[in-house]
Amino acid sequence: MTGSPDPVRALLSDHRALCERAVDPLEIAAGLEASGVTDRAAARFRHRDVFSLADELFARVTPPERAEGADAGRAPRRRRRAARLLSPLLPGVLCAATVAAALARPFAAVVLAVALAALTLAAARLVLSPLGPPGLAGICALPPVGYALFGDAALAELLPGRQSVPQDVATATALTLAFAAAPTAWCRGWFAVRRLRLLATSRGLREFAAGARPLLAAALALVLAGLLAVQGAARLLPVPGTPGAFAATTALGLLLGLAVLLVGHGRTGAAAAGLAAAGAVELLALALAGGAWLPGCAGLAAPVEALVAAHGTAVVPALACGGAAAALLVPTVRTLTRAATPL
Amino acid sequence: MRVALLTEGGYPYARGESVAWCDRLLHGLTGHDFDIGALSRGRRQERGPRRPLPPHVRRVRTAPLWGPPPAGRASRAGARRFAEHFAELTAALCPGHQLLGGEGTRRQADRFAHGLHGLADAADAHGGLGGWLRSERALRILEAACRARGAPRALRFARVADLLAVAERLERALRPLSLDWYGPDGLDAADLCHAVGGGPAALAGLLARRRHGTPLLVTERRVRVREHYLAGAAAGAGAPVRALLGAFQVGLAREIYASAALITPGDALARRWQERCGAAPERLRTVYPGLDARPFDAVARARGGAAAPALVWVGRPVPEKDLVGLLHAFHLVRAAEPGARLWIVSAPAHGRGDGAYLARCRALAARLFPAPRGGPGPVAFAEVGDAEVPGLADAYARGGVVVLSSAVEGFPVPLIEAMFSGGATVSTDAGAVAEVVGGTGLVVPPRDPRALAEACLALLRDPERRARLGAAARARALELFTVERDVAAFGAIYRELGGERQAAPRRPARARETIRLTAVGGGERA
Repeated sequence: MTGSPDPVRALLSDHRALCERAVDPLEIAAGLEASGVTDRAAARFRHRDVFSLADELFARVTPPERAEGADAGRAPRRRRRAARLLSPLLPGVLCAATVAAALARPFAAVVLAVALAALTLAAARLVLSPLGPPGLAGICALPPVGYALFGDAALAELLPGRQSVPQDVATATALTLAFAAAPTAWCRGWFAVRRLRLLATSRGLREFAAGARPLLAAALALVLAGLLAVQGAARLLPVPGTPGAFAATTALGLLLGLAVLLVGHGRTGAAAAGLAAAGAVELLALALAGGAWLPGCAGLAAPVEALVAAHGTAVVPALACGGAAAALLVPTVRTLTRAATPL
Repeated sequence: MRVALLTEGGYPYARGESVAWCDRLLHGLTGHDFDIGALSRGRRQERGPRRPLPPHVRRVRTAPLWGPPPAGRASRAGARRFAEHFAELTAALCPGHQLLGGEGTRRQADRFAHGLHGLADAADAHGGLGGWLRSERALRILEAACRARGAPRALRFARVADLLAVAERLERALRPLSLDWYGPDGLDAADLCHAVGGGPAALAGLLARRRHGTPLLVTERRVRVREHYLAGAAAGAGAPVRALLGAFQVGLAREIYASAALITPGDALARRWQERCGAAPERLRTVYPGLDARPFDAVARARGGAAAPALVWVGRPVPEKDLVGLLHAFHLVRAAEPGARLWIVSAPAHGRGDGAYLARCRALAARLFPAPRGGPGPVAFAEVGDAEVPGLADAYARGGVVVLSSAVEGFPVPLIEAMFSGGATVSTDAGAVAEVVGGTGLVVPPRDPRALAEACLALLRDPERRARLGAAARARALELFTVERDVAAFGAIYRELGGERQAAPRRPARARETIRLTAVGGGERA
């Protein structure tokens, strides 16, 4: 057909992109057929069929050297990024509204406050586990959070021989925890994005694991820094009561942060176990303190009493949440530095 | 006879591939009992409508080929066996490109088969693969295979994300290994497994053949390997992903073709690909997909006499059909035959067209053929359902010559409809066109408006030849492309393949360590 001594060359330049991209002659054959080259057309290039033509094309093209580390992921759209940045503040804002409503008209606003509190919880769930309901982990998170708000007061009330009730801590602690959702959610998102980028650029599983470990450490450090910052800010707020003990709130925040990371990567069960353990220890402390009121069981509260006498009521949640967080660290590191983990 | 019809992304789901064909097959072969095993491709398909089942369908099993892998962790012993066989399977995917047909290819195919069946046996013994293929261990095996000496260049660039993508796709492709469809009240009870499509549906049939000796019939209209490469290119998958999955598809196709008692491609194009992937010619039997001829009978009877000199194009207006070339060809026809008209009829029955492309064609037609004052232009655009073309068959009655101008074509349904309607055809040599026409119409090279115009003119000017070719085309189509013939062919194949098994005693099930089968999910209907 063509006058040139090498008719395949023209075909090659027509289909250069296809031939350079192809990983197999069959891929070239499929592409040629899809662009209308038939066996009869192949005969014009002195080939028996499209397959043998594709074999020649495949052999003649050397694929271009690929750029190292290319295609590191797309940049998200600006408007959505703004929404993603600001939405984690929602639980805090809602919680502040709840507090304001409760303070303004203590009796009439109860209903409104309850509704707003429920909204705060729902917002926290959406912000911390945006990809799906946290399932059991969400339910298991409620006891430790509830204890942080009311547990210290209850324990002080229950422990025999100790009548001084600490000031109301619930308001300040609730605000702190609600605003602490923001740095946790940011860290979650940041970690997920960086982890995906690492997956796309790592040339091997070993390289990925080596990169994922410092990434995870940085994410946890950021969660911790966010917690400290929020607590520092909370002390400046003009709300009644003092915030709960520093160590207890930090431990709870870390526990929740680890649970959020685990839930986000498909380990809902581990997260739920950690949260449930913390809640169980706290409830046990309450139960022991309460049990001491029963006749003949005064000795039950002794260990709790000794602890509280030495370090204050906050030692119970601090130990429970801190221990659970330390335990959750193991599955978190194991899971999130593994490439096979979903997301 | 009891036939297990295995489908993937098709029947009985109303939206899918080859659904109408399966429907006609089932309604045509009422003498057999059918068990249906359907693999769905997505949530929309599974939740969507289903075809009403005829009464001789005894049972429908379904399983999803989408969504997260089934939960559950493999036991230690199971994981060890999975790893062993998966390593063999992946090693067979990676030893580099070799021209098919060599000694190396055969050894590679053996290794693939060994790994695949080892994995199937392990899955059977340990309650399904579950999510094992998505585990870190499976990823490490994949990585090791990519880094092996002599692995193809493309794989050396594999990133972790590529390995993850491959593991995800392999997990889905291998889900038939973990199905609970086998066993005495499953595919063992069938006299024949009929897989519609290669790939996962045929994989289920392959396992049934290996476990129970059930003969396997594979009807593959769109060759899986070819579709894989086309889809991979369209989806922009990375080179390592395409290389690994392509090798997997070729390996699977080889194994399926080697085990199938009979493979029935729908045309020569599919057959060539199947032969290329190792199907033995003596086990290939082309059965053309049948079409319902009845709607076109009236048009064929009414033909004859001095019809207006008009050309008709019917189909789905997309760029591959080269309507632009057709319009240019018609420009040449008009120069020689000023009274000629052209009908371009979009048929929604043939699939959704490309609106922008149709608009471009309209603009081109308006430019090439300015409408005369107070009269319609020589080119008429219509859609089936319009006042002028109430039904699909009426479209073919609009002119004596039916033109098919495709640059790229698969199995040309409009051409067969034109033949049913007794029209003389002019078509371009693309896809299965020449095979379908078989000398009962004119065939010209694609993308050549001058040749197309000359062929059209020759027929427009010669009513006698037109009538002769039209009658021959109708006779050929009635002989080869009717539903009745299609169904009868499969009836005969069923008797041929299933009869032996019906007469012979069942092969006893092999002893296994533990027999514990778990469902991959999905429902069941007795």
